[in-house]
Amino acid sequence: MENVRPEMQVDIGGLIIKNPVMTASGTFGYGKEYAPYLDIRRLGAIITKGISLEPRAGNKPPRIMETPCGMLNAIGLENPGVHAFIKEKLPFLREFDVPVIANVFGETIDDFKKVTELLSETKEVEGLEINISCPNVKKGGIIFGSDPDMAHAVTKEVKRLTDLPVIIKLTPNVTDICLIAESVEGGGADAISLINTLTGMSVDIERRIPHLANVTGGLSGPAIKPIALRMVWQVVKRVKIPVIGIGGIANAGDALEFLIVGARAVQVGTANFVNPCATMDIIDGIEKYLKRHNMADVNDLIGTFDEEGKTC
Amino acid sequence: MNGTVVKNKEICAGHFLLSVKLPESFKTPMPGQFVMTRETGRIDPLLGRPFGVYHFEKSENEATVKILYKVVGKGTLLLSRLREGDFVEVLGPYGRAFDVYPEAGRVVFICGGIGVAPITYLASHYRRLTGARNVKLVCYYGANKAENLVGIEKIKDICSEVFISTDDGSAGFHGLITAKFSEDISSYDPGSSKIYACGPRSMLKQLSELLAENSVSCQILMEERMACGVGACLGCTVLLNDVEGIGAHARACTDGPVFNIRDIRWG
Repeated sequence: MENVRPEMQVDIGGLIIKNPVMTASGTFGYGKEYAPYLDIRRLGAIITKGISLEPRAGNKPPRIMETPCGMLNAIGLENPGVHAFIKEKLPFLREFDVPVIANVFGETIDDFKKVTELLSETKEVEGLEINISCPNVKKGGIIFGSDPDMAHAVTKEVKRLTDLPVIIKLTPNVTDICLIAESVEGGGADAISLINTLTGMSVDIERRIPHLANVTGGLSGPAIKPIALRMVWQVVKRVKIPVIGIGGIANAGDALEFLIVGARAVQVGTANFVNPCATMDIIDGIEKYLKRHNMADVNDLIGTFDEEGKTC
Repeated sequence: MNGTVVKNKEICAGHFLLSVKLPESFKTPMPGQFVMTRETGRIDPLLGRPFGVYHFEKSENEATVKILYKVVGKGTLLLSRLREGDFVEVLGPYGRAFDVYPEAGRVVFICGGIGVAPITYLASHYRRLTGARNVKLVCYYGANKAENLVGIEKIKDICSEVFISTDDGSAGFHGLITAKFSEDISSYDPGSSKIYACGPRSMLKQLSELLAENSVSCQILMEERMACGVGACLGCTVLLNDVEGIGAHARACTDGPVFNIRDIRWG
């Protein structure tokens, strides 16, 4: 047993990935930025930066501010648009044997539909993550992600237009995330990922101005992990489709917490900034843990949370 | 890459010189490039801090990077408390380096405050490159007061001419270094002179105004808050002139930190 590598493969709504560790949207560019610093082929999947129909310039600087154990960002979904993504960014990722999941956002249902159609026609994109949750754009995803009916409608429309597995990424900035999770499951989502960033702000007390030009931004990093973990735990109990845990995961121990409470996979975000090899360390750490606990397959670990501590 | 603190010495009030021993495989930084540095394992503050390199050397089995920094916040305060033997993570070298012109006739360095750090590394590079050739290296160095002219001795060793200014008049010219430079600007031939600058945004902005009517080459090193340092997070945006939309947003970490002064929209 000791010399056998545990099975790490997981199934995310029909997309089989070789291990449960992916990079979170917006923290890994389009893969190329980090390619010199780690072995991209080892990743379970790459989630691209958010892609919209038209190019977006994003917000004015300053766009980031560090906060205790985390950071605020208000990038404003800067991206070159779906056409430039397909032409200029996607060919690079063809070189690697790693599934590409394109993150999609829009300001109208029509935008989501058009981007979905264009990406579904490519050979390289193997899954879609639909961002109905980005809190940075005034007219953006927040409307879809905080209203169960709208979230349901977007899911249904996107699903109708693609054969690719569809992951819906949820915002935590809602009263009851489980309601939204159930509504996107009802709309036909193949999987759910959560959480996106928590809306926050920070003030420069000397000048009495906001630290971010956008005033508010999304909080990420280890500071949000306990909240993310709690929400994943709640959602897993309410839906049948796979759940992907995101939020402050910086090491293997963090990732294991999410898997134990029932996440089928995890995404690593802000930790990439601090340690470009964070995902590699996490994959190695999960394998070591499985060996140490004599588990042959990561799926034997997922959802084994002993809530009442009966085994102790 | 994980490194070990060799020395972390306060060389004048609030200014420290950190020497870190790194594996020999650490790539030699080009002048203008930076490293992201943080205490190994620390998550508060979470992010590395970008520092221009002050000095770098390689020996048989190891490399040493020196970072000259000023304590300005929590990150640098905690860095200043590191002692010999402590571990620090040094990522990089990152970013676009200065363009260097070995055939230049006169090379002018303009620095304000801690901006002297990356300028010193560049000036040393020029000194080595031009060797015995009689290239004139001139430095304008401004600080708020005499005791904050950190690293001035090294600058004097490297450069053939050094002009100093202080805000309070305690050393050299009384006033801003850009005011001192403006007195001499006409003496630099735009064809054979190259200017390099690093300092507070206000200094760089004034310099851009001084050079508005002048065609002399001027590269500046911009300092911005950064998260990743590799072009992924889009957090360190610098606004560019004469372009609209997405093209107006440059990343200080990968499109810079070195920019042509005339490309920047100062706002």
